[in-house]
Amino acid sequence: MSILEVKHIEKHFGATQVLNDISFTLEEGQAISIIGSSGSGKTTLLRCLNFLEKPDGGSISVRGETLFDAADPKTQLENEIRKKRLHFGLVFQNFNLFPQYTALQNVTLARELLSKERGGETKEEIEAAGRELLAQMGLADRAGHYPHQLSGGQQQRVAIARALALHPDILCFDEPTSALDPELTGEVLRVIRNLAEQKTTMIIVTHEMAFARDVADQVIFMDGGVIVEQGDPHQVIDHPREERTRQFLSHYAEN
Amino acid sequence: MFATVIGALNEGFLQTLKLFAVTLIGAIPLGLVVSFGSMSHFTPLRWLTKTVVWIIRGTPLMLQLIIIFYIPGYLLESGSPWPSGESGRFLASAVAFIINYACYFSEIYRGGIQGVPVGQQEAGEVLGMTRSQIFFKVTLLQMIKRIVPPMSNEIITLVKDTSIARIISLQEVIWAGYAFLKSSHGYKGLLWPLFFTGVYYLIFNGALTLLFGWVEKKLSYFR
Repeated sequence: MSILEVKHIEKHFGATQVLNDISFTLEEGQAISIIGSSGSGKTTLLRCLNFLEKPDGGSISVRGETLFDAADPKTQLENEIRKKRLHFGLVFQNFNLFPQYTALQNVTLARELLSKERGGETKEEIEAAGRELLAQMGLADRAGHYPHQLSGGQQQRVAIARALALHPDILCFDEPTSALDPELTGEVLRVIRNLAEQKTTMIIVTHEMAFARDVADQVIFMDGGVIVEQGDPHQVIDHPREERTRQFLSHYAEN
Repeated sequence: MFATVIGALNEGFLQTLKLFAVTLIGAIPLGLVVSFGSMSHFTPLRWLTKTVVWIIRGTPLMLQLIIIFYIPGYLLESGSPWPSGESGRFLASAVAFIINYACYFSEIYRGGIQGVPVGQQEAGEVLGMTRSQIFFKVTLLQMIKRIVPPMSNEIITLVKDTSIARIISLQEVIWAGYAFLKSSHGYKGLLWPLFFTGVYYLIFNGALTLLFGWVEKKLSYFR
């Protein structure tokens, strides 16, 4: 069984249709890259999966459990959304770290609040886990730094550790390197590559074509709110079948 | 003579400080309630709140004070609801000042809340935090940092605005100073006590300025 099943997702903003009949599945331990030009609906799709936007149609299931079904109001209860969104983690383009907390506190805050509610871990255990995650991101010596004392690449790696701290089933990246200088992009991509090698289930929206091809088991090309082409990374990026995909990729070939 | 005047002015300034403190204690939380009203997704509540804020900010505090102190006495058959004497004048002043300053504070709060990037709220949401956790653990401190400069401005204005309560004869420091010009404690025609009240304001506002500077510095560890 697929870990994620997305079926016929539709989303409108006013009269504009931003997502049109989006369906795909994701297997546990695999990664999907989503490519496409700005405004193609990639980000909106990730926001739907993380319950930051509510789709107008379609359904989302994780491990066979229907988390959202536009046709079933019982799946849209406000007080259950909080629990459901924990299936997903989201790394934002602009990091969105909490500026008043240190790197370590950013990583541990949500987990501490959750374990206060449900019991379980002690503060020390959560902190140890947080330190380990930061070390995994190559930031062991930055635990006590505040976000403004870190470079963009370091901030984004803290944000990745923060998302991982809650053990999401599926980790989503929304253009994780688009706000970074080219020389800082590499360190973030390397971290994501490592996660892929550790079989982290991921959905990665990115403009880095080589990275999208190398890191993913599947590539989706979106345009105008629809999936134009989807399949094996080498096939979609190196030998696209659709004319629209070729056009899009040709802009990257010129650079 | 000097000791007599200072004694009387001290007494007046104590009343000034009391009105200042009570206004802050009432208006700081009430302002938060008003700001939530003015940001409500429930349109009638939002419009009602915005109308009240418009009226309160659009008319002089002095007029509001006069209305709150005198009008109920004309309208109610039972006469003025305010206790007689200084305590009644203080109560009426406190009510008028709290309402007035809550409206000003609410606009500062609104700016502070809306100035925190929406990404902060969303980051909290995707981490499974509740709305109140996001407000208290994420947004509040960032909002406080943003509102310290405009709030310190407003609070220093409040120190001086308390003198407006003289219009309903609240015996604050300017009232006490002016009394020596007319007749007080056996003195008549003394001009300097009135001028000397300015020293009280200067010293107190100087201390507040230092305090706010310290708070701003305390919050400068993050951006």
